Amino acid sequence: MLRSLRGLVCHPRKLDHGYALHTAAKDCLSSLASQDVQALAEGPRAVFYTSENDPANHTEHHEGRHYSIPLEEVKAVFPHGLPPRFQQQIKTFNEACVMVRKPALELFAYLKNSNFAHPAVRYVIYGEKGTGKTMTLCHVVHYCSRQGWLVLHIPDAHLWVKNCKELLQSSYNKDRLDQPLQASFWLKNFKTSNERFLKEIKTQRKYVWGKRDSTEEGKPLGEVVEQGLARVRNASDVVGVVLKEIKQQCQLGSFRLLVAVDGVNALWGRTTLKKEDKSPVSPEELTLVYNLRKMMRNDWSGGAVVTTLSQTGSLFKPRCAYLPQELLGKEGFDALDPFVPILVPNYSAAEFESCYRYYRHCRWLQHPRAHTAEGQEELRFLSGSNPWQLERLAGPL
Amino acid sequence: MAAAVGRALRLGGPRAQALRLIYTTTALRKRNVGASGPEKYTEAFIKKQIEEFNLGKRHLANMMGEDPETFTQEDIDKAIAYLFPSGLFDKQARPMMKHPSEIFPEQRKIQWGEDGRPFHFLFYTGKQSYYSLMHETYEKLLNVQKHQDKLSAQDLLPQKEKRNLAGSRWLTKIELEEMLLEKLSDNDYLRFIQLLQKLMAMPCGDIEEKYIQKFSKEVPAQLQKVVIEPLKYDEQGVAFSTGEGTRKTAKATAVVYGNGTGKITVNGIDILHYFTVLQDREQLLFPFQFLDRIGKHDTVCTVSGGGRSAQAGAIRLATAKALRSFVTEKEVEFMRQAGLLTRDPRVKERKKPGQEGARRKFTWKKR
Repeated sequence: MLRSLRGLVCHPRKLDHGYALHTAAKDCLSSLASQDVQALAEGPRAVFYTSENDPANHTEHHEGRHYSIPLEEVKAVFPHGLPPRFQQQIKTFNEACVMVRKPALELFAYLKNSNFAHPAVRYVIYGEKGTGKTMTLCHVVHYCSRQGWLVLHIPDAHLWVKNCKELLQSSYNKDRLDQPLQASFWLKNFKTSNERFLKEIKTQRKYVWGKRDSTEEGKPLGEVVEQGLARVRNASDVVGVVLKEIKQQCQLGSFRLLVAVDGVNALWGRTTLKKEDKSPVSPEELTLVYNLRKMMRNDWSGGAVVTTLSQTGSLFKPRCAYLPQELLGKEGFDALDPFVPILVPNYSAAEFESCYRYYRHCRWLQHPRAHTAEGQEELRFLSGSNPWQLERLAGPL
Repeated sequence: MAAAVGRALRLGGPRAQALRLIYTTTALRKRNVGASGPEKYTEAFIKKQIEEFNLGKRHLANMMGEDPETFTQEDIDKAIAYLFPSGLFDKQARPMMKHPSEIFPEQRKIQWGEDGRPFHFLFYTGKQSYYSLMHETYEKLLNVQKHQDKLSAQDLLPQKEKRNLAGSRWLTKIELEEMLLEKLSDNDYLRFIQLLQKLMAMPCGDIEEKYIQKFSKEVPAQLQKVVIEPLKYDEQGVAFSTGEGTRKTAKATAVVYGNGTGKITVNGIDILHYFTVLQDREQLLFPFQFLDRIGKHDTVCTVSGGGRSAQAGAIRLATAKALRSFVTEKEVEFMRQAGLLTRDPRVKERKKPGQEGARRKFTWKKR
């Protein structure tokens, strides 16, 4: 029936974004679609959803399924980690659903079986644009926070090497430059995510911040953080102190440390910042970057370093670059070498199906043709099974 | 100028009122070229042209090193195109060497003899060829009627079978004018066609079939010209088919394989990376979506030239052409009606002198 109706199409429709799904038989399709939607909403959600909320228990059985994180936990664990589009999605759907995928499961296996007496292993998550590297990182962060690790989550290292309004000369070291705003912002979020650790960890040295401010030995780390938030000028040094303390104390074994950095290639690239005399700033001259690089070295034990490469925010890198060699450059590669690379591919057929069902379940896909099998095939073709593309495509539908 | 108009001589005497012009200006003396009608070629002139043409043909054959006896018109065309290469778009404007009968339009010979008496008996009607044609056709009609009457008297009237008119058409007015060498009016033409149709409609009209065929032409059906290639099979036994397409300045070739997951590779790169813009991917999707075969074929394409949109359009045409081999004829007809198999004729319009672009004029300043 549909075939004969389609034969009446005399000329191609103007293929606008979204109009590719119009045909002459809209009426009959809409009546079919409404029945379809009802049927599916009542049907089993087991294909795309799992109620297992603890990442520790996720296995291959759960692969391709979404699990939801309670919203309070989201606020506590991810004050600053999630991608902005995902945050919008959380607000729209009123729930945070993350898909369990193979790279994340792989990482969990490695973390579970790693020997924490050995130096920290570095994992680099890489992949093409929009395949889910940041989401994988967030999944790992959630897992570790559930396990009770101390999570040092830097949401996007690129933010530290570009668009900085204020650059102060560091008081600690004349050559370096401070970034008070970024440092204080990060400290605030760090405080929200790791409240209880800040009370437990004690400083091992005395730190002098200025003429009048100093922190004694044995004080909880929370005080240092407060100091940084209060005196924004010293925020970058505070960050350095926090990192040093945590690194030292992690080796004693009282807690596990996860260093999660998104966009780690920013640490070894170039910056767009300029000094007052218009000369370019290299990343080592920034206090934050310098201290973070020290964390990246594998000279400590008792935890793991999970990083992500990102081309999206990177500076001076071509769009098609996604391999570690290309994005890290020689310097970065040597600094991170040896590391465990983890590739995040586009959606497989099952994962795509799951994502599609999830969108349908949330009533996100409103277009009548989107509910048919052909519509699904079209979405698969047009997005190329790329999660980012699919999300952007599904938006207007 | 008015002052330069002929000085009039006033003649004295009884004819004093008459004025005689002594001289005229160049403007008045110029011949009114348009009023004399198209140039008349004399028979001698045409004959001379034909002789020159034949001589020239032999010379050309010698120049090209071919045999003058077997030098055809095609060979002449090729030789002229080789010796006088021209970049002009209009084929009629390029140098050509054709038989004078094709170049000089046919003209009527003088219709009257030395004594001034016309040859044809209908000369004074003004449209002698037309009326004589009508006269002949009506004669045939009367013949057929007489024959019919004879047969019906003997009760041997044959049944008229419906003749298939789909493959033939009558001559157009212009063709008829060319045949008769005189102008016709629309009404005249209509009357003639009606007469022919009446003749054909009669049961015994088949007798005059030969006469009628002089005035009808064959119309080749549209689809018969297009030949759909059969599927080819490569080493592993997978069916595949090739198609080519162009759009603006982009050229593309596509190889569509019978099995697959719907992946498309362009110049070795996946379409997701080659065509970043959604619109281009939608263009590539269109042939498959139309035929409901989205996830069933793998495609490998090569494309060059043009811009992003032109390349997408070229690949779309190429895939549609390749898909013809996988699909029934009816669906091919559907595709053709949907416009998937038509090469988009739009190209960049030429910039004209005196204007800034093809259409945009320079800013108009009042003063």
